[in-house]
Amino acid sequence: MIHRKGTYYFVSHYFLIITFLLVNLLFPKLVLGNENKENIDVHRAEGKKEIDMSKIMMHHVVDAHDWHITDIPGSESGEYIPIQLSLPWILFNFTTGSLEFYKNTAELHATNRYVVAHEHAVPVSSTTPVTTISVDSAEIDHHGYVVTEDHHGNKAIYSKNAAIQVLDLSITKTVLQIALVCVLLLLVFISVAKSYTKRGISAPKGLQAIIEPVIVFVRDEIAKPNLNGKHDKYLPYLLSLFFFIWFSNLFGLTPLNSNIAGNISVTVTLAILTLILILSSTTKSFWSHIFWFPGVPLPVKLLMIPVELVGMIAKPFALTVRLFANIVAGHLMILALIGLIFILGEGGSNPRAGFVIAPLSLIFGLFIYAMEFLVAVVQAYVFTLLTAVFIGQAFEDHSHSHDHLHSHETKHH
Amino acid sequence: MLLLEAFGVMGAAIGAGIVALGAGLGIGTLAGKSVESIARQPEASGDIRGAMILTAAFIEGVALFGEVICLLAVLAGK
Repeated sequence: MIHRKGTYYFVSHYFLIITFLLVNLLFPKLVLGNENKENIDVHRAEGKKEIDMSKIMMHHVVDAHDWHITDIPGSESGEYIPIQLSLPWILFNFTTGSLEFYKNTAELHATNRYVVAHEHAVPVSSTTPVTTISVDSAEIDHHGYVVTEDHHGNKAIYSKNAAIQVLDLSITKTVLQIALVCVLLLLVFISVAKSYTKRGISAPKGLQAIIEPVIVFVRDEIAKPNLNGKHDKYLPYLLSLFFFIWFSNLFGLTPLNSNIAGNISVTVTLAILTLILILSSTTKSFWSHIFWFPGVPLPVKLLMIPVELVGMIAKPFALTVRLFANIVAGHLMILALIGLIFILGEGGSNPRAGFVIAPLSLIFGLFIYAMEFLVAVVQAYVFTLLTAVFIGQAFEDHSHSHDHLHSHETKHH
Repeated sequence: MLLLEAFGVMGAAIGAGIVALGAGLGIGTLAGKSVESIARQPEASGDIRGAMILTAAFIEGVALFGEVICLLAVLAGK
């Protein structure tokens, strides 16, 4: 009985503490009284913007034309000087048929012919007066006008020039980071290959000892069981895929780098490569199963054509979305958890709430970050495994193993 | 108008919750059955694990479709 009483005491004790923390957390103003309210109003009067966390989060996960690191406050209030690596704009102008090259966004704006809105170079009519070169934000409204705003809040309106069509071929942040990952992969694998030519087949050493088990894993666990007898032919692609996705995911987890596979263009490209490989390794039996499904009545045969065609397109689509959404979701989770500090702290005007939430945010953020290392390798594994499975299905001889096929099909759709 | 927007965001959030529920149910059943099978037949644990990861990837894929649609619904409402 005494023990039980003690438990009750502890429970009620913890309950009080947790309630206090929760109240403090959720209603900081209620506990602290009104002392902060004036502060907030002062900040608003000074022109400090409220923190738009979704904008900051989107800025972190979308591709950009500069490698942005941080902002430092400028001399004027509300002005921020970005610390970033400006990347060049390379535009192919369909109207003049020429390739245009600009060193950075400021130089692009200085031409008075383009305004950057949502990381796209929008051609504008040069007849409109250009008042702001330092564009802080730009929006395209419903009437096709581009509205820009500088850090003073001065607005300028440009009309979109529909006569000019441009194709953006710029080396963006993602493109640059893909190149860096490729350089890293080349360095690692050339050194490993060299040590094989130098030392022959023997016990692996150094980098070899890290890479060899992974290669053997991809060969024995992914390629061999799914590509009956033809795994040597497809192994180079599977290995490239695995190591590219894995390394780029890990690269995205280091500071200052973006999420490469969290860009849907990258995952679409990988999925299209897989689709090409699937289609190029098909057999007659694969196509007959799509256009003339054997062993079923005629109406079902006709019904199966669209179903099978959609199934064929759904495979690379699922690959695309799976990798993209996994990587983006991880990054957004970490950003949201860290952003919680600033949202509850109201951008520095309510530091107490910020301090209360900070440890929680950091612990959960760290947990997600640790999980991301697992996700990095699991997603590389899943993408490679599914590629191998789909290629294996494409050249599988269906006529001999009908039952086997049907169990496969129900599993994969 | 504000209320309508709020309802839109709420709908997307509830949708995301339901998607998570479904995916959790799927992966939970999958993991439970797999562990049962491994316990019954430990020598087949490698094969079972492979099949489990493959199926988990499919369930997760469906869940992510749902989540992406919820995200798009929120962004479209803005």
